Amino acid sequence: MATEPSAPAKTVQMSRFERLPWRKVILTALSVAIVAFVVVGAWKTLTLPAGERFSAASWRDFVILGLAQGAIIALIALGYTLVYGILRMINFAHGEIFMVGAFASFFFVDAYARSGFLDRHHIPATIIVLFVAMSASVIVAVLLERIAYRPLREAPRLVPLITAIGASLFLQNTFRGFFGSASRGYPRPQVLTGTWPIFGLKIDRMEVVVFVSSAVAMIGLSLFVSRTLTGKSMRAVSEDRDIASLMGIDVDRVVVTTFAIGGMLAGIAAVLFSFTFEQVNFLMGARPGIAAFTAAVLGGIGSIGGAALGGFTLGLLQSLGPALLLTGYGVPSPFQLKDAFTFLVLVLVLVFRPGGLLGTGEAEKV
Amino acid sequence: MEGLRVRSYIRAGLVGGIVAIYLMLEGLVERFGELNLIGDQVTLGRVLLALPPAVAAFVVMRPRTEAGRLVQPERRAGTVGGALTGLVTGGVMAVALLWADWFGIDRVRAVFVAASPALVEFLTFGRTIVTGALILLSVGVISGALGGVARTTDPGLRRPLTAGLSALIVFGLLQRVIPIAMVEIGLTPDWLYSPITKGLTWEGAAVVFVVAVAASIFWERRGRALRAELRAASDERPSVKFSVFLVLLAIAAVLPLLLGAVVSEVLGQVMIFMLLGLGLNIVVGFAGLLDLGYVAFFAFGAYTCALLTGATLNTTTGAAAPALSFHLSFYIAVWIVALLAAGLGVLIGAPVLRLRGDYLAIVTLGLGEIVSILTTSNWLQPIIGGAQGMRGVTKAQIGILNFQDNPQHFYYLGLAFVLLALFVSWRLSASRIGRAWNAMREDEQVADAMGINTTRFKLLAFAMGGAIGSVGGALFAVNLGSLTPASFVIFVSITALAVVILGGLGSLPGVIVGALVLIGLPGLLREFEEYRLLIYGGTLVAIMVLRPQGLVPNVRRMRELKEDERSQDAWAQAQAGADDGVAAEEPA
Repeated sequence: MATEPSAPAKTVQMSRFERLPWRKVILTALSVAIVAFVVVGAWKTLTLPAGERFSAASWRDFVILGLAQGAIIALIALGYTLVYGILRMINFAHGEIFMVGAFASFFFVDAYARSGFLDRHHIPATIIVLFVAMSASVIVAVLLERIAYRPLREAPRLVPLITAIGASLFLQNTFRGFFGSASRGYPRPQVLTGTWPIFGLKIDRMEVVVFVSSAVAMIGLSLFVSRTLTGKSMRAVSEDRDIASLMGIDVDRVVVTTFAIGGMLAGIAAVLFSFTFEQVNFLMGARPGIAAFTAAVLGGIGSIGGAALGGFTLGLLQSLGPALLLTGYGVPSPFQLKDAFTFLVLVLVLVFRPGGLLGTGEAEKV
Repeated sequence: MEGLRVRSYIRAGLVGGIVAIYLMLEGLVERFGELNLIGDQVTLGRVLLALPPAVAAFVVMRPRTEAGRLVQPERRAGTVGGALTGLVTGGVMAVALLWADWFGIDRVRAVFVAASPALVEFLTFGRTIVTGALILLSVGVISGALGGVARTTDPGLRRPLTAGLSALIVFGLLQRVIPIAMVEIGLTPDWLYSPITKGLTWEGAAVVFVVAVAASIFWERRGRALRAELRAASDERPSVKFSVFLVLLAIAAVLPLLLGAVVSEVLGQVMIFMLLGLGLNIVVGFAGLLDLGYVAFFAFGAYTCALLTGATLNTTTGAAAPALSFHLSFYIAVWIVALLAAGLGVLIGAPVLRLRGDYLAIVTLGLGEIVSILTTSNWLQPIIGGAQGMRGVTKAQIGILNFQDNPQHFYYLGLAFVLLALFVSWRLSASRIGRAWNAMREDEQVADAMGINTTRFKLLAFAMGGAIGSVGGALFAVNLGSLTPASFVIFVSITALAVVILGGLGSLPGVIVGALVLIGLPGLLREFEEYRLLIYGGTLVAIMVLRPQGLVPNVRRMRELKEDERSQDAWAQAQAGADDGVAAEEPA
């Protein structure tokens, strides 16, 4: 750094002003401001007059909602984390892979809902819908890797990122051209509406299903990566691609497998997401995609546990944050700023702890 | 017959068929079916039908290396192979058509909105389904064969023909520009462009074709020598280069007078995006910092300019004064905007500088999204109007020049700022600062070790880029007179990035070309408007995969990319011993 005293005698004398470690000063000021903002905001919200205050029940609902959304975010985040772990590349188009799954399954679920199959035999119908969503996402993910990313694997880091942004825009608008720009209603099986009593609480059935199926998928994935031979070769490629290939591992196959697994998880997340929000459109992948990426970074990109942790943390932050922090300042309609919250968290994590909660700090530089 | 590789023909033909079906389902074929290029027989839609088989055949017949040497396919093999490829492509289209008819086009349409009866009518040329399928088959075979023939033709013949065909398509696409310009300079365009079909007339097309072919042949024979002469002359006397620039400037100055209000409005948009491109080029192209949140500066410039010049809020009950408002002249406000934006650039840049390239991109993306969410929020509604936005931005009048209601006048305002930004970028890139950015982009640690204060230069790049982008925003506000948050979304960042990338990172002429192609063309052709973002996305992918240095590459940058290729290729490295003398002469 230029601020360090250098050996040659004829160095230019730097003024005291210039010698200040500016970055540190700015960061410290920033963190003090943030802590103050959070503490004051929370205090103000919690001490609002009784009529304006949120009840205990609504806080509980926020938490449950946050966990359920966090589970979906975590599923998508796994796709980012897996690809990053193997290729050190941000697959910006992963949100669109998710969108593709949702759209493909829409046509099936819509037909089943109209013929009544969805409600008469909800389990086989849901399995077919899941299968369709997963296959569509896997196909698009693998094609994307083959056409857009593989030729650029040795290129400078920013090149595949730019390609990924282009691919994301291309996929969005392709689907707009294919299926129109209107949102379409995504029917939910009758069984999943209403609540189930769990531990004496009435919890939305959809939220329970989302939580349980995400947990199953995540456990399955971590078993796959830690126990199977393919998982072992994935870990080897992520460690060092060149040496893995010298050890007889087919790197291309491992990469394709990784993209396929990411696509499968995105497909599952797509069905859960669409059942929850009951509509699909061509832009639906953008914001969840970025939220998931944030979660992956928050937990420590490249680590499976980190993606899960990041997903749940971000889900809670999104559902609790605006209510807890912004209501106190009297910000009108705080939930409008939910996504701004996501991005703010992303920026702050990268600034203060680029390695993420579980990471090693590796992302700091070079 | 030997030399036929049936399996690869089938594969290429299938890919061509899938592309053709994609174009149909995307709605492009039918949408462009109305756009007459020549007479009313050659429409862009029909060209799109014939292109996939031709391109598939052209690609599959490329020369291959066999046993270490390049083998050019023979004429007969090329024709037959191309026809076979085209047959497969045409077959795919025909089968799809027959299937859609059997299945019921309305049922297909329930899924794919573009699969309409009108599309079927277009594909069958208004006849029965079976005739239509046969026509598609023959279209495939003929254009496939042509593609194959084109590949096996001698380049001396192929280049002029390609030039002629490209000129036809370009002239056909510019059908809303060229006739207007001809009328303005006192020519009658009716012999070239038919007033009824709007496209070229057949006679006009013949003239364009012949001229283009002749020009191409002339260029092949004499042009290269001419260009080399010109380059040598400009190396000796910089005044030659300067006079070329003056000629271009003169053309730019008379353009709106020639082209009328409608085209000038498009050119005004082009100017705004040239500014954005030039600003982003400093950050991404010169300093190598990928900024995906450039819309933040655009929005900042637009809203700050509106507040400084006394715009009012749109509310449901009418106009209201914002909580913060000044009444300055635009010509004072714009400098304040640029200064503030430079400050914002430093403020955004400071905490994120330590991050590695791709993380930096994501952080800036996040900041950009925060800005666009804030523009719609109720929270900032008292200052910048929230979802309803603002109106009554200054018209920046000087005398009779009105930069808001008269697109021709606005063009000149835009041009003035673009020239200023070009000058600044040009001087920066040639200066010590520009060299420091170059060094930093190539290898940050080495640059640091060489005594470059990377923090300072990165911040400077953010500040300069932010200032130029915010001026683009200020001009945008003046041009429209009112602002709504819908104009400040992530797509602005991506469009600016596409402009920079298409032209070539770090290349100033590249930014101009990029903005003209990506903003100008879709603006002139209303039919393209819907597919704008699709085209931008495709452009980003295609450029990065096929031609990463861009259309008008920065010379130094291209050398770097080529060197990369050379060093990656072990075989070339062994050969490089001979080239070392040359490489050493190149400026570092």
